[in-house]
Amino acid sequence: MSFDLQLIIESLPVMLMGIGITFKLLVISGVLGLLLAICLLLMRISGLWYLNIPAQIYIYVFRGTPILVQIFIVYYGLPQFESVRESIFWPILREPTGCAILALSLNTGAYVSEILRGGVLGVDKGVLEAGSALGMSAHQKFIYITTPIATRLALPAYSNDVISLLKSTALASTITIADMTGIARTIVADTYAPYEIFISLAVVYMIFTFGLQKLFGIIEGYLGQYTKRE
Amino acid sequence: MSIPENRPLIQMQNVNKFFGDFQALKNVNLEVRKGERIVVCGPSGSGKSTMIRCINRLEEHTDGHIVIDGNTLTDKVKDINAVRREVGMVFQNFNLFPHMTIVKNLMIAQQLVRNTSKNDARETAMFYLERVKIPEQAQKYPIQLSGGQQQRVAIARALCMKPEIMLFDEPTSALDPEMINEVLEVMVDLAKEGMTMICVTHEMGFARSVADRIIFMDLGEIVEEAAPEEFFDNPKSERTKKFLSQILSH
Amino acid sequence: MDVLAGWWDDYFWGAVVVGKVFFCSLALMIIFGLLGAMAKLSNSRVAQKIAGAYTVVFRGTPEILVVLLLYFGSAVVLTAIAQVFNPEIKFVDVPPFWAGTIAISIIVGSYATETFRGAFLGVHPGSIEAARALGMSDLQTFVYVRIPEMWRLALPPFGNHMLSLVKDTALISIIGLNETMFVAKQAITVTGKPFTMYIVVGAIYLGFSTVVTLFVMGAEKFGERTTVGAK
Repeated sequence: MSFDLQLIIESLPVMLMGIGITFKLLVISGVLGLLLAICLLLMRISGLWYLNIPAQIYIYVFRGTPILVQIFIVYYGLPQFESVRESIFWPILREPTGCAILALSLNTGAYVSEILRGGVLGVDKGVLEAGSALGMSAHQKFIYITTPIATRLALPAYSNDVISLLKSTALASTITIADMTGIARTIVADTYAPYEIFISLAVVYMIFTFGLQKLFGIIEGYLGQYTKRE
Repeated sequence: MSIPENRPLIQMQNVNKFFGDFQALKNVNLEVRKGERIVVCGPSGSGKSTMIRCINRLEEHTDGHIVIDGNTLTDKVKDINAVRREVGMVFQNFNLFPHMTIVKNLMIAQQLVRNTSKNDARETAMFYLERVKIPEQAQKYPIQLSGGQQQRVAIARALCMKPEIMLFDEPTSALDPEMINEVLEVMVDLAKEGMTMICVTHEMGFARSVADRIIFMDLGEIVEEAAPEEFFDNPKSERTKKFLSQILSH
Repeated sequence: MDVLAGWWDDYFWGAVVVGKVFFCSLALMIIFGLLGAMAKLSNSRVAQKIAGAYTVVFRGTPEILVVLLLYFGSAVVLTAIAQVFNPEIKFVDVPPFWAGTIAISIIVGSYATETFRGAFLGVHPGSIEAARALGMSDLQTFVYVRIPEMWRLALPPFGNHMLSLVKDTALISIIGLNETMFVAKQAITVTGKPFTMYIVVGAIYLGFSTVVTLFVMGAEKFGERTTVGAK
């Protein structure tokens, strides 16, 4: 068994054609997921039971089931319902890409909301009390004190979640999407060379991950300026 | 704002505070007149912090009445905010906003709570920073300052809101010894200018020289109240005597 | 709901498979995690570098890719080896159960490495010194002082690793493991109700997650007995 370098050189550009889709899945799901996460967070900390409990249930379900199952439910499962097939969303839900984005967003939203909540809980209570003592309203405290501090606290865990999201995009290949993994699987099926293909693909993902980590490192450095004693 | 001499600025009547089953304040009655300097002392867990935190509603009293400058303290946000406008607080752990520069720390509440313009807020901020003698730190972040400096900033921050009353919750307890004096000096200056203040502290030297009245609390009750000379030289209760012997022996 | 009648059996056995994967991968994950952590904490630069590569590689690669690679890759190797002995053989594969179990153990093990490493570092140096001062040997210190305290610290993130194992099991269905997803696929071809069938799969996994979460909560309470004092 030999390691076919030539195969890698030929296959990499083909696989990299899928990087646009991977990127698209990552960014759109990431943004939508973040928006969802903020909504869920506000519901969780609202103090109102009819917002808090549904949010908790949602988070529990989406963090407690495999993302693959969620993708399958959206892509294979939803068309079971006539109301879905006849709704205005059908053009999106018919396409595997739309389904993948929907499932990934719903999933990452649940995880990120807990990460944000961790950030919010991590804000020093004394600092919030100082805000109260100065007469700031709950609203003002949340915007000017909690949000900036919680964002910085949540960033490391958030960056991990974005990397998880990147890895989850590979699952889109299971519903026929031609992202990098999808293309790779096709090549392997043709060439019976799993090592060359999958290992080189893994390297691509690792580089992507490394890039994301560096990016978040820069953001963390910028946000954390006030934590350096110099 | 001038008030008739016979109405106290702070009135606490029959105040009780429960944390679950634990009674932190037992039937506390307190009157503070304008310009008075009160020092509250007592062992840990005596309720001294709880008492002053009830004054600006950082804790909610379970029953009794608290009236600040004619404003009765209730659940209503309007009432609470009316009180907090008049009352400034300095915390043991400074509690500066870590993500804002020093000058922003002093400006933000003015802008948000009193709708002061940015320029006016900055002017006031720099004025009080000079008062506490650290104007050159304006653009730094709290983490870059020493404990003593941070606490002085905290005092300036409270003063920027032009309060009628200043509450100090063990302001020097978290400071290294060499920094305690710089903070006490600021507090003494404040006292000399006639600021009404209630100070929870272990600094008996400060109490002796500045306080009009010293209040000793133990197990949630006010045990003894007296002017400093009488308090230190002639304590009436056994518990007071015991506390004084413990705290003054070293 | 009656469309599910007759499939409960299959789902049950599918769930049993999920359970089997869980326990096998849990054991392996702990082994990989501990080995990795000890390598990182050891004095050997080589061990540290290898462990470092281990964590970087498997935390940066999609899980599905590792599963596919291990399955197809091992098949290629085994087939090649088998063909040496018997050129007639076309294809030998590793059972999906083992390919998948090992794959997810390796992946989650790389996260567990960091968890265990952090937990080992978190053990009070004072306790170690006390043990030495009392004359305990290195091995005794390791077993009676380091490990229990390390577990207590590692428990919350370790609970998350266990949940990851549960959920990653679904990935193994892609290489043909006969667990719940697989059952669902078959049920769909017969009943034509994909939503219902996959919801059942989700519910089964949710059930497993719940059990694991409750177990971890109980274990944390048990661990707290050494830290939460009388109030």
